[in-house]
Amino acid sequence: MEVNRLLPKLSVIVPFYNEEDSIDPMHRAIIGAVEPLGISFEMVFVDDGSRDSTALRGEQIARRDPRVRFVKFRRNYGQTAAMAAGIDYASGEILVTMDGDLQNDPADIGLFLAKMAEGYDIVVGWRHRRQDKLLSRKVPSKVANWLIGKVTGVPIRDNGCSLKAFRGSLIKNIPLYSEMHRFIPAMAWIAGPRIAEIKVRHHARQFGKSKYGLSRIYKVLLDLMVIKTITSFTSRPLVWFSLLSLPLTLVGIAALIGGLLPPFSVSGRISMTLAGSGIIFWMGAVTLVASGTVGELVYKLGDMRPEDFARLTKRISVASHS
Amino acid sequence: MILNSTPILVSVIVPVGTRKTPVAELYAEYKSGLEALGARYELIFVLDGPHPQYESALLQLVARGEPVSVVTLTRYFGEATALMVGFEHATGSIIVTLPAYLQVEGREIGKLIAALQEADIAIGYREPRASNWFQTVRRRSFHGLLRYVTRLRFRDLGCSARALKRRILEEVRLYGNQESFLPVLAERQGFRVAEVAVRQSQQDRHHEIYRPRNYLRGFLDIFNVFFLVRFTKRPLRFFGMIGIATLAVGMIELLYLVFDRIVFHIALGDRPALIIASLLIVLGVQIFALGLLGELVIFTHAGGSKDYQVDRVIQYPADLLAHSAEEQPQSERHRAVVGVDEQADQS
Repeated sequence: MEVNRLLPKLSVIVPFYNEEDSIDPMHRAIIGAVEPLGISFEMVFVDDGSRDSTALRGEQIARRDPRVRFVKFRRNYGQTAAMAAGIDYASGEILVTMDGDLQNDPADIGLFLAKMAEGYDIVVGWRHRRQDKLLSRKVPSKVANWLIGKVTGVPIRDNGCSLKAFRGSLIKNIPLYSEMHRFIPAMAWIAGPRIAEIKVRHHARQFGKSKYGLSRIYKVLLDLMVIKTITSFTSRPLVWFSLLSLPLTLVGIAALIGGLLPPFSVSGRISMTLAGSGIIFWMGAVTLVASGTVGELVYKLGDMRPEDFARLTKRISVASHS
Repeated sequence: MILNSTPILVSVIVPVGTRKTPVAELYAEYKSGLEALGARYELIFVLDGPHPQYESALLQLVARGEPVSVVTLTRYFGEATALMVGFEHATGSIIVTLPAYLQVEGREIGKLIAALQEADIAIGYREPRASNWFQTVRRRSFHGLLRYVTRLRFRDLGCSARALKRRILEEVRLYGNQESFLPVLAERQGFRVAEVAVRQSQQDRHHEIYRPRNYLRGFLDIFNVFFLVRFTKRPLRFFGMIGIATLAVGMIELLYLVFDRIVFHIALGDRPALIIASLLIVLGVQIFALGLLGELVIFTHAGGSKDYQVDRVIQYPADLLAHSAEEQPQSERHRAVVGVDEQADQS
């Protein structure tokens, strides 16, 4: 069991939440898939505050296998946080993330590495033969993916698939928080990376039960709104908020004219109600522009700015060509 | 008598505010409880604002060589701030917080510390509790509301007798008047909280006067905790929900007015309802924009703060593993836990 003292080439990141039956088979499957490739690798297993014996088994695995780094959360923080922790604690040049429930197949890792070697920065999996319930899982996911693709402009068919590969230096600089894991490609898109999509195998669940249901649509929609703001308008909050205020201004003008200038008004006389609404709409428009100014200030003072990502990808593409 | 060379195990922090028991009586009670522990301890009194008489009485204790230190704040900052200042001076590995008035009996301190074997923070609840029906209703509704908001169940957050591991105050930053909610915030960060029944002191059994201001503050505190716990990382979830609802109500009203105008020819300009509709629409847009602004703050500042708290990171170096496999496979001697108790939150 030769372990490279240097940084490993590949890190496989797997979050586990109540997966006591899956963690051992997962460990074996990853080794079985990656060892024949002949590259140095490590595994980062994240226990997302499981209530069963997942943590215990994870510790046992770490005790047997020095290639396993086991990160144990104090409580359950959700899949995004677990993925983010895995990314933070991984040291590989290429990071591969996957689900801990054995629905992704580690045998696909080789395909991802081959694709990364072609010079892509992000490779995402597409579960083209998805083994899940049609109505509660597949249909909402289809709609969500179509919407995400439309709004973010990143045409990925399967955002929910956890099996993805990233260039480490890129993904480590993308902030992941809340429930953003399904938007990682969209978030990374700010940095302008080359993204490839490949078909992956998908197995039906063997152990445990699914933790994600249908109630996410509202959250996905709001998150999408955030992503859209962040990806396209963060660098110019003032412009964006001003655009938002434009309809309010126009409605305000129309109402003022209709209320105060009898020739244009519907009732043929001055209407204070109509004029009052016009003033309210104008007030709203002014406040929005003011918010945009505050946004501009926040952006200036922030340490995470999309324009900084540009430098990041530039460095990456140079590295990948050499 | 415990030797001076042994390290301090228990640091007791006593924030002194308006409600206080005379020093001699308070100290005698707490001292009896602490002596029973058989470990070295210190008491840190933090005077929240000037209390000259109390301070001179405490300084007499210091002059007598008692293990007491006194920190005086120049003005009133709130109990939580006083607690954090006291913590900066504490050297013990176990921190005990006690109120400056006799709320619980001194010998209950041992019970709280004993509970730390199983938990990271042990909070007392007064049992049996002397209170009239009005106080009971008040207490129940407070904790019920809190439970509804945070989904955490506590019996007596008003009891400030608590024992905690040092880690907790290192990681949970308190300010202002958040001291009652320390268990809530600690639980949210993944610490284990234990509740321990403690005997209420005779002195605590008189009626405490609550002014309307106190009720308002209690309510605002709960709202504050609710926001901290649920939405700090996702402001748009909170503001978006309210904003969209407001916008929708305004839009429906406006559509109704337009419908009336077209079908029944009721002039739009004659309806005061139009003002309300436009107010709601504008308000909805503004609230939503605030949420977006919050998201912008979080995104641009997300670099430093993490969304999770790591309990342990475990990785065994390869050479060590090879050895233990030959000699004693299960030996605890070779335990190589890397980065125990790593803290990931810098926000």
